Amino acid sequence: MKTVVFSENPVFLRMASAVAQSLGGEVIGISNNADVKVVNKLYVIDKLDEDGIVDLIASLSPDVIITGNVRRDRAIAGRIAGRLKLPIVTDVISFKLEGKKIVADRVAYSGMGVVTVEGELPIVITIANTQLQPKELQPSVEKVQLKEGRVKVVSRKSTSSGSNLSTAQIVVGVGRGIGSKENVKYAEELANALGGVVGGSRPVAAELNWVPEDRQIGLSGLRIRPKLYIALGISGQPQHIAGIRDSKIIVAVNTDKNAPILENADYLVVADAVAFCKAMLNKLGKQ
Amino acid sequence: MNIIVGFKIVPDDQMIKVVGDKLVTDAPLKVSTYDKNAIEEAIRLKEKFGGKVIGITVGNNDRKSIREALAMGIDEVIAVSVKNPDVYITAMAIAENVKSLNPDILIFSEMSTDSGTSALPAYVAELLGLPYISNVRSLKVEGNKVTADRGMVSYVETVEATLPLVISVGGEINTPRIPSVRQIMESAKKPVKEVKFEAQAKIAIKEIKPLIVNRKKIIIEENDVNKAVDKLIEYLKADGVI
Repeated sequence: MKTVVFSENPVFLRMASAVAQSLGGEVIGISNNADVKVVNKLYVIDKLDEDGIVDLIASLSPDVIITGNVRRDRAIAGRIAGRLKLPIVTDVISFKLEGKKIVADRVAYSGMGVVTVEGELPIVITIANTQLQPKELQPSVEKVQLKEGRVKVVSRKSTSSGSNLSTAQIVVGVGRGIGSKENVKYAEELANALGGVVGGSRPVAAELNWVPEDRQIGLSGLRIRPKLYIALGISGQPQHIAGIRDSKIIVAVNTDKNAPILENADYLVVADAVAFCKAMLNKLGKQ
Repeated sequence: MNIIVGFKIVPDDQMIKVVGDKLVTDAPLKVSTYDKNAIEEAIRLKEKFGGKVIGITVGNNDRKSIREALAMGIDEVIAVSVKNPDVYITAMAIAENVKSLNPDILIFSEMSTDSGTSALPAYVAELLGLPYISNVRSLKVEGNKVTADRGMVSYVETVEATLPLVISVGGEINTPRIPSVRQIMESAKKPVKEVKFEAQAKIAIKEIKPLIVNRKKIIIEENDVNKAVDKLIEYLKADGVI
């Protein structure tokens, strides 16, 4: 068994490596970071050129290719599958090897469903999450200079706003229902008072820019797992729910008590989001 | 410019319901959400550079949804029927049917709302041997040169490439137009070419279950928001989260 793992994101690279190790056999890592100590062999690439990465992985003829789940990982996974005409299973939450076949559970229907699928090796997989931890290994390291691809990167601008949503214990999520960009300050004050951080639905983060873009919560953005998630003026699109599903407690604040988010909330406070923030701040201040 | 746009006809994700331990997916059909952004971008390119937009859809060939896509401004649609489509078959069916059209650009959305693999446009790009730019949030075409911003959540990457190529787009790139009544009427006259494609799927679906997380679903409704907040804080303290 020869498994190749790749992710642009160190957390996903560890997850992918843990799954790869569980399959047995050789684990080959591809990374632009030389400090990856969870694989048997590491190819350290000089740039994140997708053409180059796809060429390199394809040249290794792996039995299984496992990538993470961030956007670049998915682009590369889809291309490798296409290059080698392999089956591909994305967003995998668990899987097992049965002889030459892989049986996997994956998320589908905008996060509302789990679909069990099977496909034969060789196969491409993208990992959504795993509880497995990789063993530390001392890889043999080879530096690779990738050729210049057909898509040239002109610039890369971070959208990072400093707070880490993925590990936050309390998250206040903002949706269109908060009314305006100005009103987001009430959400921020509430998050500060609770020791949490603010995130937003995709429309609010990526389209309206009411909150920074790297705080986009949802199926195609960040999937968070805080102990408390407060959704302010978020109706409950499946895309968004997929990103908050692992929260311990979900509070929704909405003027409409029939908002679809109720199905996925522990508490629905029927109120205007701003009035709610003010009242919460008032109470929290008094304690 | 020869423009190909892929779109998928899917059960409306707002109408999919969990009933008991079943996920009921036989909801009314529609064009998958971001696929409308792909169609819009294709039509904008045609409006700017001339040429033709050919739509291709694989799997469900619901006529009403196809007409909706045509009404937005697609010139004609290739509707491919297949059995048990997976990413492999869908990509093969698309590559097979568009190769001879010599497309300058193929536009897809970054994710469908049903299977949501994000893998299709990349797969098609490889089958056609074309460069691929995923997650495009803004697109500029000048002559043969393409400049695109890719939204990668934690950063935005600006890239350059040359036509022909494949891109995928998200909801940020544009606002899809709503066709006029006249356009809807005229869409009935536009050609829809029905073709079949057969191949052995590489992925088999064994079971579809709802992803259920049991929530308390307690509604707190008071005339005075302060009273509601008092109640909520009590609950949250009992849950040990504040």
